[in-house]
Amino acid sequence: MKDRKSILLSSLIYLITNLVGLVGFFYPFFLPLLSADRAQAASPWLMTLLVGFCFVALLLEVQGDALNARFVALLGVLVALNAVLRFIETAIPGPGGFSPIFFLILTTGYVFGARFGFLMGALTLLVSALITGGVGPWLPYQMFTAGWVGATAAGLRVFRLEGRRGEVALLVALGAVWGLFYGMLMNLYFWPFAAGLGDQQWTAGLSWIAGFQRYAAFYVATSLAWDIVGALGNVLLLSFFAAPTLRALRRFRRRFTFIYQAEAL
Amino acid sequence: MIHATAWYIWLLAALSVLLGTRNPLYLIVLLAEMALVVEALYAPTGEKLRAPVAPGRFALFVVPAGALFNVLTTHTGATVLLRLPEAIPLLGGPLTLEGLVYGAINGLSLAALFTAFTVLNLAVPIRDLIRLAPRAFYPLAVVVSVAVTFVPTTLRQIQEVREAQAVRGRRMRGLRDWLPLFMPLLIGGLEHALQLAEALTARGFASSDAPFDAPRDQGVRYGLLGALLLLLTGGLLRLAWNLQVWGWLLMLLGAVLFGWALRRAGRSAPRSTYRRIPWTRADTLITLGAALTVIPLWLRAGAARLYSPYPALTLPLFDPWVGLAFLGLTLPVFQLYRARVAAAGAAL
Repeated sequence: MKDRKSILLSSLIYLITNLVGLVGFFYPFFLPLLSADRAQAASPWLMTLLVGFCFVALLLEVQGDALNARFVALLGVLVALNAVLRFIETAIPGPGGFSPIFFLILTTGYVFGARFGFLMGALTLLVSALITGGVGPWLPYQMFTAGWVGATAAGLRVFRLEGRRGEVALLVALGAVWGLFYGMLMNLYFWPFAAGLGDQQWTAGLSWIAGFQRYAAFYVATSLAWDIVGALGNVLLLSFFAAPTLRALRRFRRRFTFIYQAEAL
Repeated sequence: MIHATAWYIWLLAALSVLLGTRNPLYLIVLLAEMALVVEALYAPTGEKLRAPVAPGRFALFVVPAGALFNVLTTHTGATVLLRLPEAIPLLGGPLTLEGLVYGAINGLSLAALFTAFTVLNLAVPIRDLIRLAPRAFYPLAVVVSVAVTFVPTTLRQIQEVREAQAVRGRRMRGLRDWLPLFMPLLIGGLEHALQLAEALTARGFASSDAPFDAPRDQGVRYGLLGALLLLLTGGLLRLAWNLQVWGWLLMLLGAVLFGWALRRAGRSAPRSTYRRIPWTRADTLITLGAALTVIPLWLRAGAARLYSPYPALTLPLFDPWVGLAFLGLTLPVFQLYRARVAAAGAAL
């Protein structure tokens, strides 16, 4: 049984790490409100550093609270399955931003909870990067964002629609939102690094409105069509496969509740 | 065999110089040197690259694409090549040589970064990457190990299910036809997971509901919280009030406290090392070579380090000492060829 202090400390860690994670993605819009100094030009590096520390702290907290033998086995095997889907997608690219990995991240997050969903998202990206040679500076951001995808799916449980007709519609809607939002967030992390001249690029000292306008122009010109295909892919996969997948996952959730009781010989 | 830590230091040095310069001449030299390392890593096995795209192919795509994107969307620069009608949204206006060169430099920088990470992906086996994870992440390292081990099994399972479906005469036409492939795969995977969980439990691996049978160390949590608050405060001092020294000091303290918390968290994680990879003289040389690569760029290069083609195109400067220091990144090539010659000699 957890004591109150432990819950408080854990909640504080979750709150700070997720808030800083969000700030780390969205800082190009509000940084000028803090300072109009030229030192802002160095801020992308500072934010990357802060996001990195927060992500490591979040992983440490999530793993400590969630892992036991059943959790390790289930997570490991499902991550392997999802990483293989991404491996196939890398070998035979789908249209636009279509990626099959979000389907399983969303459904497992919904069935097994926020911690499982977060780790499923983050570790799917890590393992698939390891097997396809995709380790790079983008990886911590991808892991953070994919983790959020899984964790938010668990938030749908507040509607108490488990096993009812509306749950698939909810997952489909969330899949559509994340199809677009994942691309938007991932663009944000490198947008300030691609600084230069032009009406679509981030420069230090922009007001948040000007920053937002420039990012919107950049996003529409470079990524919107790509991400719409990704969102449509999520919608189709969830519409066709979510119901049987949820049934299978729930059946195994019950089977995974065995308890080991040591007996003295 | 080069030590994984030496490769990490090599990567850090490569990233430091790549992110520290916008000079296209330096970037081309660095890209060529890293391509040599990729070639040296690739040659002995002849196996397919463990990278989604070969670095050369990536560079051939990203440099022209970067140039094209920038020239079409940035209408600044003195040397006008062409004018598109202003009526075309986003693209209308003068297309300049400076815009073209700036975009190509962006692409070059991306291609060099990609090549640096390709070197790491090729050089360090997955098991060594997992082994280098801090002990505090032992449970997650186990999950990643399980996942990596199950990837070939899952691929084999896909093949088996596909063959079984083909024998029944089922063909993949629409999206619905993928369901009979996906569901056996998912259920088979979950059955595997159940067996694995039972096997882990039978071997006494974190079998109770309380993870790893140990109460959480509140000291680690206090350490993490303190470290995060120090890092945030330091960052804010730098960004909002421009207090650079105090900002860096607090951030440094935060990083030290973070390291302490990780170390403390790792104390409860068991680890047995059955085969320790030795650190050799070659590893020391590679590390020193990588470190020497970084210093001259920051000490000597001056204006040549940060080149910009705007407002009017000029030739970038090239400091030969800096160029010479970059050779430090090619030291792994000599070590790899030396090891290959030694292996060939032993085989004879």
